[in-house]
Amino acid sequence: MTTTRHDRDSATGTAEWEDLVSAALVGTDRRPLPGGPSVAPPVDLLEQAAVRVIRARAGQRPHRGRPLPPAPPETRPLVGRGAGDRLARILAGEQGRLLAEWLEIAAGSGVRVPARLVPRLLDLGARDQSIRAHLGVLAGTRGRWLAGLNPAWSYLQEEPTDGHAGSADVWEFGTSGDRRAFLAALRATDPAAARELLVAGWGKETPEDRAAFTQILAEGLTMADEPFLEDALDDRRREVRQAAADLLTRLPESRLGTRMAGRAARLLTRDGDRLRATAPQACDSTMERDGVRARPPSGTGNRGWWLQQVIAHTPLSFWTGHLGRSPAEITAMEVGDWAREVRMGWTRAAILQRDVLWARALIEVEPLTDLLAILPPAEQSRMAAEFVRRHPVDGQMIMMLGGIPRPWGVPLAKAVLEKIAATSTAQPWNASELARLAGERFDPSAYEQVARLRDLPEVHEVSATLRFRYDMARELAADGTTETRADTRAGGLAGGSAAGLAERRTDDGHGTAATETGGPLDEEDK
Amino acid sequence: MLALAPDAASQKAATGVSSPGKWSALGVTPEVLWGECKGSGSKPYRACVDLSEPAYRCSCPSRKFPCKHSLGLLLLWSADGVPAAEEPADWVAEWLDQRRDRALKQASRLTAAQEAAVRETAAQRGAPAGTAGPDGRAHGDDGDGAAGSGGPGGSGRPDRRAQQREQRVTAGLSELERWLADQIAQGVAGARQTGPADWDAIAKRMVDAQAPGVAGMFTRLSGVLREEEWPGRLLGEYALVHLLAVAHRRTAELPSALGDVVRSRIGFPLARETVLASPAVRDRWDVIGSRDEEQDRLIARRVWLRGRETGRAALVLSFAPVGQALDASLVSGTTVDADLAFYPGSAPLRALVARRHGAVQAGPPPGLSAARIPGLLAGVLAGDPWTESWPVVLSGVVPANDGGWLLADPGPLDSGPLDSGPLDSGPDLVPEVSGLRLDSSIGTPWRLLAVSGGHPVTVACEWTPRGLRPLTTWDEEGKVVVL
Repeated sequence: MTTTRHDRDSATGTAEWEDLVSAALVGTDRRPLPGGPSVAPPVDLLEQAAVRVIRARAGQRPHRGRPLPPAPPETRPLVGRGAGDRLARILAGEQGRLLAEWLEIAAGSGVRVPARLVPRLLDLGARDQSIRAHLGVLAGTRGRWLAGLNPAWSYLQEEPTDGHAGSADVWEFGTSGDRRAFLAALRATDPAAARELLVAGWGKETPEDRAAFTQILAEGLTMADEPFLEDALDDRRREVRQAAADLLTRLPESRLGTRMAGRAARLLTRDGDRLRATAPQACDSTMERDGVRARPPSGTGNRGWWLQQVIAHTPLSFWTGHLGRSPAEITAMEVGDWAREVRMGWTRAAILQRDVLWARALIEVEPLTDLLAILPPAEQSRMAAEFVRRHPVDGQMIMMLGGIPRPWGVPLAKAVLEKIAATSTAQPWNASELARLAGERFDPSAYEQVARLRDLPEVHEVSATLRFRYDMARELAADGTTETRADTRAGGLAGGSAAGLAERRTDDGHGTAATETGGPLDEEDK
Repeated sequence: MLALAPDAASQKAATGVSSPGKWSALGVTPEVLWGECKGSGSKPYRACVDLSEPAYRCSCPSRKFPCKHSLGLLLLWSADGVPAAEEPADWVAEWLDQRRDRALKQASRLTAAQEAAVRETAAQRGAPAGTAGPDGRAHGDDGDGAAGSGGPGGSGRPDRRAQQREQRVTAGLSELERWLADQIAQGVAGARQTGPADWDAIAKRMVDAQAPGVAGMFTRLSGVLREEEWPGRLLGEYALVHLLAVAHRRTAELPSALGDVVRSRIGFPLARETVLASPAVRDRWDVIGSRDEEQDRLIARRVWLRGRETGRAALVLSFAPVGQALDASLVSGTTVDADLAFYPGSAPLRALVARRHGAVQAGPPPGLSAARIPGLLAGVLAGDPWTESWPVVLSGVVPANDGGWLLADPGPLDSGPLDSGPLDSGPDLVPEVSGLRLDSSIGTPWRLLAVSGGHPVTVACEWTPRGLRPLTTWDEEGKVVVL
C-alpha cells in the first residue's frame, strides 16, 4: 500500500497549503504571502487558509484498504441472552470475582459468548492464565479470528477448542491445547494406548508439549509407564525431567523409587521413640537426575534443602516399613535437628503422591490447604469446619479457606456462617472477608435459607452473592446442552454445582426446591 | 438494564436491593412497575417506574437518579420477580396522574408558544426582509440548556439587554480579529510556549464578551499542540475562528439560516420556548449513540438520533453537575416515536424532544454505504462550515486496514478516482475495498472488529474532521453494542 498516514486532508496536503503554513509559522511580516502582494497579508492568509480547510473537510474522499478475511462460521450455539447479559454485568464489575465460575459452567455446557464480549475476555485471559482453557471453548471461532489479529491474544490458539474430541485428526493437526485434551481423554479410557501414541512421536514434540504430555500420564499411572518415565529423566528440558521424577515417586517399585529410598534410609533413622535426621553433604548428579534440585531458593541453606528434596521425592510407603510405624505415629514423633525440613519434605511428598493417609496425618500438625485438597470432598469440608470452629479468624484461616474449592460441604458452610455471626460486631473486617468467601463457595441454592438465618449485613451479602450464582447457574443450565463433564475435568468438584442445579430444576421446573422449609444446608447434614 | 444506572456504584447498590426479600407490595402492569423496599428507616421506600419512558420516582432521599431502589426494582422485574397486577396501587396511580397533568400543561404551553410564534412571523412578513436593522428574531436571554424556562422577551428591558450583548460580542470579536491578524503577521512558531496562556486569556475575554462559543474554541485549542503537524492544524483553527468573526461582522449580508449558524456558533442563547415553537419534525428516531464529556464540573451528555423516515440527524444535549444524574430518557439502541424541534440554522442538528409518542420496536437503523457519506458531509459543511461532529449510520460496511482502520463498502472496487495513489495489489492479496478512515486516536476498534468478524455490519459513527468515531453497532442477534 502506498498510502501514508498524512494524506488525510487531501486539499491540505498540497504544496500551496504548506506554503501558507510556513508563512504563518514565521509570520507574514517576515515572509510575504504566496501569490503576490496584498493589502492586509495576515487577513488574506487566514482567508485562504479557511477556504482550504473547509474544502479539505468537505472534499474528503474514500481511501483504499484491505478487508479482513471473514471469520469462519461458529460451531457452537450462542449462550442464552440472560446468561450473556449477566456475563456483561460481571465484566462491568458487578460480582466480578464470579467470572471464573461463570466461564467454567459455560465452557462445560459447550456454548460460546457474544462476540461483543470477546475482546474484554481475551484481555483478561492475557493476564490470567487460569481462565484461558475456558476461553478456548467460549470465545468460539470469532475469538480465534481475533487472536490472529492481536499478538497479545495469541495464547488462545494453544487452548483446546473442545470441538473435535473424538476425531483422529486432532493428534496430527490440532492446536496443542486440543492435542493435550485428546491425549488426556485417551489416557482416561486406554492408558497404554495413550502412552504408545506419545512414545511414537516423542522426538518430534516441542519441549512445552513434552512437559505437558508427561503430566497427563498422572492419570492411570502404573508400572507399565516406568520405563518411559525413567528415560524421560534424561530429557533436555528441565520441566520434562521434573514431571517424570514427580510421577515416578508415586511408583514405589520404580527404579527411581528404589534409589530415593536408598538415600532416604541413610538420612532419616529411628532412635527409639525419636527420629534422627542427617542432611546430605552434597548433591551429586544422580540425585539431580532423580529430581532433586541442587540450587535452593534464596534464604534456604543447601543441606537442609537437599534433605527436604530427597524426602519429598521418596515414595511415602517406604517410611512405614523403614521406621516400623504408621504415618500418624511417624508425623507425631520428635525429630531433633532438621525437623522443619523433614516435615516440609513429607508435606511435599504427600501432595506430589496425593497420599490421603499421610495428608491426614500431616494436617494434624499443620492445616495446609494443599494437604486438605488431597482429601475427599466430604472429609475436606469436615476437617476445615473443625479448624474454623476451633480457631479465631486470622490470615491463616482465610488462606486455608481460600484454597478449598466450591462447593463447600454443609459442615464447613455452617461453621463459617457461625463464625461470621460471631465476629460480625467485634471484627467486621474478618466477618466480611469470610462472607465474601462464603458467597463464592457455598452451594448457591442455599441462598434463601442463608438469608433467613440471621439478620446481619454480612449474611445478607452471602445470600445476595449466592442468589446471583444461583441465577447464573440456572441461566446457563437453561441453555440446554448441559453435559456433565465433572468426571473429565481436572478439579472434578466444580462441574457438580451446575449439574446439581440442573437436576433440581427438573424436579419442580423452577428450581425452587431450596425455598421450601428445608434446603441444602439441612438435606445433607445427616 | 444496568446501563440506565448513573454510575458504577449505583449498579452495585442496585444489585444489592434486587433480592425479592427486600421488597413487598410489588406489582406490574404493562405501563408501570412498583414496589416497597425495606430501607434503614421504619417506613419502606416506595419506588415506581413508568415503563413507557422510562421515568422513575422513589420516596428515598437519594440524589442519584434513577436511585438504587428504582434500578433494583427493574432488575427484579427483569428476573420475573414481580407479579402482574390488574391495577396500579393507589399511590402509583396518583403519581401517574400527576405526570399526566404535567405533560398536558406542558403541551398546552407549547401550543400557546407555537401560536405566538406564528403571529410574530406573520407580523414580520410585513417588514422588509434582509435589512441591516436589529435582528428581529426572538432570542431569549436565559441560560442555554436543560434548565431554561423564562419566556421570550416581550418587554423593553430584555431588548436593551440583547442590544448590550450584541455590542459586547461585536467589540470582542473585532478585538479577536485584530489579535489573529497580529499572530499571523508575527508568526505562530512560538505557540508551543506561549499558546496555552494566550488562549486562556482569549477564552476569558470571550466569556466577558458574552461569546461562550468562541471561548470554547480556544479552550479546546491546546489539544492541537500534542499533534505532530500542529502548525497546520493551528492555522486551520485560527482560520475558522477568523471566518466566524468575519461572518458575524457581516451577518447582514448572509442568508438568514447561515446567520443563525453564526449566532449559535458564537454562543448566542436561544430560549427553549423559541425552539419548541418552531414546527416540530415527527419521526421514528433511532437513538444511535451518546457520549458524556466533563468540562468545568459540568457533564454534557450528547445523544445522537437519526430519523427513519426523514433521514435527518439530530443531537440532544443535556447537562448536569458532576455526581448528579443526567437525562436518561434516550437509550442507545432504542427507537422513539417523537416530535423533535430543531434549533435554527442551515445545517440544523441540535434539537429538543418536544413530545414523545412512545417507544417503537424497530431493530437496527437503516444506513448509507461508505461511498455516500462524503457527499452527505459536503452538504452539511456547505450549510455549516464550522461543523466538527455529525452523526452518520453506515450499513453493510466491513472493517478494512490501510495502516489505520477503515469502514469500507465490501465488494471489488470499480476504478473510480481515489486519492491513495496507484493500486499495487499483489496476486495473492485480497482485492482492495474503499472506505472511510476511523479517527486514528481511538486505536484499533476491537469490539467493532469482534462483532463484525470481517462480515458486513451496521455501524453508527460520529463523523469528525479527523475521521469517524464508532458509536454503536448491532450484533448477530440484532442487539445494540455500544462501542
